[in-house]
Amino acid sequence: MTIIKADHLYKTFRIKEKEKGFKGSLKAIFKPKYKTIKAVNNISFEVEKGEIIAFIGPNGAGKSTTIKMLTGILYPSKGEVSVLDINPIKNRKKLAYQIGTVFGQKEQLWTHLTPYDNFKFFGAIYDINEKVVEKKINEFRELFELDEFINVPVRNLSLGQRIRCEIVASLIHNPKVLFLDEPTIGLDPVVKENIRTLIKRLNKEYKTTIFLTSHDVGDIEKLCKRVIIINSGKVVLDDTMENLKYHYLNKKIVEVKMKEMVNLDNEKGITILKDKGYNLKIEVDTKKRSVADAIKLLNPDNILDINISNTPLEEIISDIYKKEAKK
Amino acid sequence: MRKYLYIFKSEIMTNIQYIGNVLFGFIGFFVMMFIFLNLWQAIYDDPNELIAGYNMNQTIWYVAITEVLWSIISGRKYTKKIVEDVKTGNITYNLNKPYSYIGYSIFNHLAGCFIRFLVYFILGLLLVFIFLGSFPSLDIVQILLVLLTIFLATLINTLLLTFIGLFSFIVEDSNPFYWVYSKLILVLGVMFPIEFFPPIVQTFINYSPIYVVSYGPARLFVNFNYSDFISIIIAQLIYLIISFLLCLLIYKKGVKKLNVNGG
Repeated sequence: MTIIKADHLYKTFRIKEKEKGFKGSLKAIFKPKYKTIKAVNNISFEVEKGEIIAFIGPNGAGKSTTIKMLTGILYPSKGEVSVLDINPIKNRKKLAYQIGTVFGQKEQLWTHLTPYDNFKFFGAIYDINEKVVEKKINEFRELFELDEFINVPVRNLSLGQRIRCEIVASLIHNPKVLFLDEPTIGLDPVVKENIRTLIKRLNKEYKTTIFLTSHDVGDIEKLCKRVIIINSGKVVLDDTMENLKYHYLNKKIVEVKMKEMVNLDNEKGITILKDKGYNLKIEVDTKKRSVADAIKLLNPDNILDINISNTPLEEIISDIYKKEAKK
Repeated sequence: MRKYLYIFKSEIMTNIQYIGNVLFGFIGFFVMMFIFLNLWQAIYDDPNELIAGYNMNQTIWYVAITEVLWSIISGRKYTKKIVEDVKTGNITYNLNKPYSYIGYSIFNHLAGCFIRFLVYFILGLLLVFIFLGSFPSLDIVQILLVLLTIFLATLINTLLLTFIGLFSFIVEDSNPFYWVYSKLILVLGVMFPIEFFPPIVQTFINYSPIYVVSYGPARLFVNFNYSDFISIIIAQLIYLIISFLLCLLIYKKGVKKLNVNGG
């Protein structure tokens, strides 16, 4: 069942341009110049119920703009959007009751109130019965381990605690879709892991569809089964994580410790990454040469220790970004 | 409506944490009243002498009530917040919540006004009563009617401030408009009864927001009569409808052309 549908979506912004210096400032008053930017340029995709989807791309790729169009915050310049069969622009308020949003860089909580009072507040604005809100709070209190700080004003919470509360606040009304825009930004690895576990549990226990943007490859790798990569406002890849790894993992990193030095210069399909005499780090392009073949070249009897690994996902993604930028 | 009352309640809860600031602000009011008291006592040779139809006590009560009213309803921070919300695009983050941004802002501001009302109205009037030893002759119904005009004045002022803030959709930074508005109210509507001004200025004031936001309720407080009350309440209702429609119009137009880049 399709939950989110973006069909040939465009968003252009008109931005004021100013020439440099004081003269430019004066000129801008009387003769303002504008530049049109295509933030989203013909994007189409669909998200199925219960999916956790990673929507990634470099800065300025159009991720947040797309999320804002999906949640009814921005009007698309062209194209159609529907979330849960609701048009976010025409029925923004109706959609608001069905979705939750967390923008990692924007606070939606009242900083002077406690998380408990905040949750009650969100319950009220979503027209939820007080008893139901209370029940929900108790449920999330346990799931998100909030006991320690539920009665501490939000302004006194750590970033990790605050993000947990932000997520809970966006879940009080039981949304069917949760939009998370960089939820782990600025968090330490332990808290990141904690948030990821919670998101996973949320998806498993409540069947919430999760639409996630992040720059953190760990988020994507550990949470998502499908990834959409956008760059310069266009979808450059829409595939499963498995396929992404399978198609792009045609390079293996081989690190060896040897008894005798071996010369691999000018060998087809082999790139030397690091050569410290007896210690060698090479990249094998498996399309041109098999790993076994590369090991044969090194002579198995000559190898004291060996480590074969995949190219890190981070590099794969950054390669995709770079290839698109070259185009 | 429940959600807006909850917004009101949450803002009261926030304000209570900083009640000290409100009480501290009252010291400024105390100093101001002390200066005005001495000033008018020096101007009036005889307390019963009439200047522009006001005796000394009426003038002081007029200044006191307009000063109290302005202390309650003025909203520099409030307007600035809306201007910032528009300028930075933060306003958009309220769009996907099931409430109206205008309703949210208004109830937010009204909560602050309510807290200040409790402090300034009660303590302020008590202070002036101690200074003068008398209170304007008002019966209980008249007091309630004056309070009604004060409530409407607060509402109209909140809507006008909201409109000024949302004007940033058009001019990028509408803070200077707040400055002009607040200074007009202060100079023409707070410090002197409008009858003290030349007729041409009085005509301007009678059609301006000063009449419904400041002069009207204060005039009724110092010299209540039902025909004035009817004119003031009608003018307030007209202003209320116009300012509300202006807010809706500018908001609707502004949100459509919003540009928010990046996260």
